[in-house]
Amino acid sequence: MRKTWVNYRRGLGGRDEEFSFSDRARVVRWHVIRGMRIVRSCIGPALAVPMIIALISMLNVGLVQAQSKNIAFGFTNLPKGTRVVVMPTDIELFSISGGGVAEPKADWTEAAARHFKAALVKKQDSLGVQLSHLNDLDADDLSDINALHAAVARAIALHHFGTSAFNLPTKDGKLDWSMGDSVKVIKEKTGADYALFSWVRDSYASGERVASMVVLTLLGVRGMQGGSQAGYASLVDLNTGAVLWFNRILRRTGDLREEGKAAETLDTLLENFPVTK
Amino acid sequence: MNRRRFLACASCASLLQVASLAQAASGDGWQVPARIPRPDTASDEGGLWALMDREEQKLRRSPFRIQDQQLQSYLQDIACRLGGEHCPDTRVYLVHTPLFNANMAPNGMMQIWSGLMLRADNEAQLAAVLGHEIGHYVARHSVERLRDIKSRSAVGQFMVLFGLVGAVGRFATFAGSFAYSRYHERIADRIGLELMSKAGYDPAEAATVWENLLMELRAKPGGDPTKSNPLFATHPPAEERRETLMRLAETQPGGVTNEVTWQQKVAPYRREWLADEVRRGQHEESIALLTRKIMRSPQVSDYLFTRAEVYRSRAKNADFDDAIRDYQAASATGNEPSETHRGLGLIYRARKQIAEARASFERYLELAPEAPDALMIKSYVEEMKT
Amino acid sequence: MKILIATVLVIILAGCASAVKVSSGENTLGDRLTVTLEGPWNQIKAPGLGPAQIWTMEGMPIDQLLIYTGLKDGEAIHATNSSSKSKTFNFRASMEPDEIVSLFEGMLTRDSSTYKLVKLEPAGFGGGKGFRFEYSLVRKIDNVKLSGVGYGAISQGELFAIVYQAPQLTFFSRHKRRIEQLAVSARIKGVSQKQGT
Repeated sequence: MRKTWVNYRRGLGGRDEEFSFSDRARVVRWHVIRGMRIVRSCIGPALAVPMIIALISMLNVGLVQAQSKNIAFGFTNLPKGTRVVVMPTDIELFSISGGGVAEPKADWTEAAARHFKAALVKKQDSLGVQLSHLNDLDADDLSDINALHAAVARAIALHHFGTSAFNLPTKDGKLDWSMGDSVKVIKEKTGADYALFSWVRDSYASGERVASMVVLTLLGVRGMQGGSQAGYASLVDLNTGAVLWFNRILRRTGDLREEGKAAETLDTLLENFPVTK
Repeated sequence: MNRRRFLACASCASLLQVASLAQAASGDGWQVPARIPRPDTASDEGGLWALMDREEQKLRRSPFRIQDQQLQSYLQDIACRLGGEHCPDTRVYLVHTPLFNANMAPNGMMQIWSGLMLRADNEAQLAAVLGHEIGHYVARHSVERLRDIKSRSAVGQFMVLFGLVGAVGRFATFAGSFAYSRYHERIADRIGLELMSKAGYDPAEAATVWENLLMELRAKPGGDPTKSNPLFATHPPAEERRETLMRLAETQPGGVTNEVTWQQKVAPYRREWLADEVRRGQHEESIALLTRKIMRSPQVSDYLFTRAEVYRSRAKNADFDDAIRDYQAASATGNEPSETHRGLGLIYRARKQIAEARASFERYLELAPEAPDALMIKSYVEEMKT
Repeated sequence: MKILIATVLVIILAGCASAVKVSSGENTLGDRLTVTLEGPWNQIKAPGLGPAQIWTMEGMPIDQLLIYTGLKDGEAIHATNSSSKSKTFNFRASMEPDEIVSLFEGMLTRDSSTYKLVKLEPAGFGGGKGFRFEYSLVRKIDNVKLSGVGYGAISQGELFAIVYQAPQLTFFSRHKRRIEQLAVSARIKGVSQKQGT
């Protein structure tokens, strides 16, 4: 999907707005300053890094996302009916108040996790794989490998989906990361051949926020952020430890709070997921 | 208490508590508020609660959590005695972080950092800090703070508030960004004192534990601790706090400190936590802390050894002399850590006192042949033979 | 390292950071250090990252190689911010190996990561006398357990050192051999085999 500035818009009540170049510059600058403030206040990496990555990616806008970027070199298809264990998704949803305070929303988050799981189950057939879910207790035992994967995912987001100047020359433009033997514990515990990891942070403008956005827009001020969705998903081969497929999303649309719309987020997250044969 | 703040308070729940605390100071049978039921997930409190649940999950699995069943139950018992009715809702986690802190999240997760465990001299002092944190919890200060921040449209507070309450290790940013108001801190002090007393502890230890910390922070050159240490940014001014706590303590005389039990329980961790303290590289603060500990327990070699290590590390003016004195005092107790002799050896070597250096190094290698730096020390000895 | 990673990320936003290739073969780093590489590395370039060169094979969040190419007496081993109140770790030319290792220990634990020295021993480095150390670190920001190895030597009052760390699981053992090879290949100009200084 060709990403252009038109896509980076926040519809207000369904209205589309197109950003002019000077608006873009202003928005980028606003995000850079905000990003720096965020980093300086040293917030948790769970949010800081993807948000920074999100901001980096904004500089990358306009590039066509090549199919091969998501897929590891040399990897083509998943065998049909292959067993994929779904690692517990790390999702959190926030509401942004009038003044910009992000408030965690338990009910939204719980709903989102449910919808995500349901959407995944529904998609099982079209993906052509057999999904199993890992429970929380088992996840406790796998905390080391989970922590390691999170670091790998950050590296991929930074050096493969970030600005091209930051790509690692030795990786030669390829998705070429592997956790090696260390993933065997997952295979032993679950019997699966692949593992699907995912992570989503999503924020939504509260009613009061949307109200102030409308007011400001009427006054000619544009670029106020409604909310954004950042996340990644990765598919890891449990026999080799290789990351076979990786996708990261960053956008200002998407809604995980309702089942139908959550399915759309999942579809976007699983863009270019390997075809099964 | 500031009357204007009293009237401006947004949440009525703590208004009632303040009023009853004023009574408590005169001994009018103040009661601990009832157990906090799990809030509706759709509410702001519910959102905060659920976020803390997820943080707790991460903490449970974290390599920074000290997983010692015995020590854990000991601390859990203390928290339970303090919290009374809130005991079933309280879950204690001991965290390996070399800073003075304890924190109770709105969902009942209580963190105690190893830096606090090192500094507390007895159970009562720990109880004072835990009681203070339980005070914030029963008065639901976190939610008040959230509502307060929201209503004041604090721009740029994105995630700062929640990501760090309960997050392991981000001490400075946590306390600095998500600070309870000074009003909250005063309430927590009073509730904490009340809980301490009810649980049978000597409330005079509350003033002591804060004073000790302040003294340590004041030792840092060129700093007003209330500016450099975020923990103090919103705490009441030291003198006022000490006075308030002492005055309140006078109304409830008596109570235990359980110092002997405390020392027994923390002894196995002392060396590790002291090594963490040295690693902080805050020489003046460490020296102040250790001097206080040495005065209190002169027969404990670990404190003498550690202060020597700090002097040796700072290496200013007469520090090497002070270090030698402390290493030798540690050695005189007869149960000094083997590294005491390494420390002496390194100073003698720097001063070109070859014979003394060799003797000390050889003693170290004798006591700890498998030490990580044994080969390095052996090479020093070989050098000195030529 | 957290501060490092955070700094890098901020700089990327400003568009000033990049990853460049360091080719196989002989490379001169700074004025006096050469290393001979078996296979290329990636160097992270950005302003304000500190006195050491920063290399990586898998990316900043995973592994980092710090290379000191002649740090002078009194200089900090990390980037300094004049307004920052946190402790600085400054190299002194009179330091012994155990003191230099303590400097690194201090720097690595500034963010409350936990550190354990596994080994410290004399070793040749740069063509003369030096030291080698191994450590383990649990990184605070993301709970990842890391293994680390370092080599160092002081020559003419300047510090030359390499310090590499990567996750204990898989990554450290994957690149360890190349690190040892890099260390063995290092040569400091002006170091005579006899004197070793």
